[in-house]
Amino acid sequence: MRRLRPYILIIVLLAAWEIAARSGLWSPILFPSLERIGREFWLFVSQPDGALQTWISLYRTFSGFALAAVAGVALGMLMGRSPWAAGLLDPLFSGTYAVPKLALFPIFIFVFGLGSLSKIALVFLECLYPMTIITYHGARSVNRVFIWSAQNMGASRMRTLVRVVFPAMLPYVFAALRVALPVALIVAIITEMISSVDGLGYLISYSLSSLKTDRMLALVVVISILGLVLDRALVALRDRLVYWEKLDAFYA
Amino acid sequence: MKRTIALVAGICCATLAAAQEPTLIRLGRGFAAEEQVWLMSARPDLAPNQGKKYQLKQILFQANPQRFQAYLAGELDAGTAPGLSVIFARAQGVDMKIVANVCQEAAGPNWFSTTYMVKDDGPVKSIQDLKGGTVGVVEYKTATDLWARAGILNGRLVPDKDVKVFSLGFPAMGESVRSGKIQAGTFVEPFYSAEMAKGGLRKLFTAREAVGYDHELLDVWFGEKFLKAHPDVVRAFLADYVAVTKYYLANTEQAKRDLHKAGFVRTPVDIYVKNADWKRDPDARVNVDSLKKLATFMHDKLQWLEKPVNVDQMVDQGYLPK
Repeated sequence: MRRLRPYILIIVLLAAWEIAARSGLWSPILFPSLERIGREFWLFVSQPDGALQTWISLYRTFSGFALAAVAGVALGMLMGRSPWAAGLLDPLFSGTYAVPKLALFPIFIFVFGLGSLSKIALVFLECLYPMTIITYHGARSVNRVFIWSAQNMGASRMRTLVRVVFPAMLPYVFAALRVALPVALIVAIITEMISSVDGLGYLISYSLSSLKTDRMLALVVVISILGLVLDRALVALRDRLVYWEKLDAFYA
Repeated sequence: MKRTIALVAGICCATLAAAQEPTLIRLGRGFAAEEQVWLMSARPDLAPNQGKKYQLKQILFQANPQRFQAYLAGELDAGTAPGLSVIFARAQGVDMKIVANVCQEAAGPNWFSTTYMVKDDGPVKSIQDLKGGTVGVVEYKTATDLWARAGILNGRLVPDKDVKVFSLGFPAMGESVRSGKIQAGTFVEPFYSAEMAKGGLRKLFTAREAVGYDHELLDVWFGEKFLKAHPDVVRAFLADYVAVTKYYLANTEQAKRDLHKAGFVRTPVDIYVKNADWKRDPDARVNVDSLKKLATFMHDKLQWLEKPVNVDQMVDQGYLPK
């Protein structure tokens, strides 16, 4: 029973969907049954084009996400360890965090073109904020004793940063990555829905134009599975790299 | 006791008043080329049955799929839509019927036809020159997409393979062509006139030329349940609709000024009244043959339909005035 617990809510939701779909209260075009969604899902995963379209979306997601991870960690570390840099950058990040960057997409299209670059640029911008801000707080919260110890042992500023500050803030970096990764996937899909000739977002938009709600929902399932797999992979990587967190929890 | 009697009497009066109220038509409308439909709300004095035999509530939608979803969710009784979109909807089993024409893509100097334009000094001189390039359309599987693909096929090129078809908003089309982001774009009024005034663009082909025959652009549709439940209401609505269409055709400038005043159109009024207009049938008759040809093209050439659609079953002009 304990093993089933994480799935109970999902099973209940699926059952509720199926009951609603078969109740006849709503049009099956708007509310297709699980069987129809499943059939479209199978059609998608069994065709080579499905893998290609998924890869295109993932390529855009990972490209923007990776760039934002590198830039965000560097900026966050800089802000966390340099009051001057924090004073310069913090107002900019705090002041523009709430701006819906998606509104800038038409400008991005003009600057970076209609292809992948404009989408990657927007994914980068959307992910940069959580990456920088969470990493910044991680860099600020590094135990001073660790830094003093390193300095007393003669470590240079760069060595202290790489060998002490970075590992100490690694749990925050992973927290930031976990926040930014679904954002990257969502933005990649939305930009494809707005303007693209390929990718999962384009297929969703195409299915909606044809009133193929079952196909559209099958694609939503594909994206959900991708999001889940990517998050689990990130958690597994975190558990492997930030192993002391588990040890801390064990000895606590 | 007196209070109870007064309450019961009040409820009875309210129920009777509600029963006498004319049937409400919830109509989903778009934002272009539907002037005579909008005029029914902007100038209700032109529609004598309105308020007596029916009430009209127009609801604005930005795209066709949302309009059909609202209908399926029970939020609409009728609407305007491209004939092509109704073909899609019927193919998915949506129970709706086209009852009247709004406007057509037609040949002739008096009518506007959606135009695909390229850079005046650019390398694209003919459709064949589009090879390796991109054509901007408003949304996939819309009329603009169909015309673009038909035009590409006319140039013996393969859509998606030789020429990409890309979704862009109308406002972005002009600058996208000028900056070379796309090689050809779709232009409807009022964007067409505005871009022509700016200069630097020229026509490559029109929607009419791409398809090769006059055909339905926009139509009025009703849900089949509503048609069965309220045939007289639909007849009264269409009688007014035809009267308003005739008024619009005879007094286009005044009608456009009224629409602008009522807030249906945001284009500066002086530009709007001068814009070329699509062909509108004064009796709102539907060109059924053109819909049949479009459905065949969608099925055979574009593979947009999984199975053929019976166009005769999706058009019912029996509610139009004789």
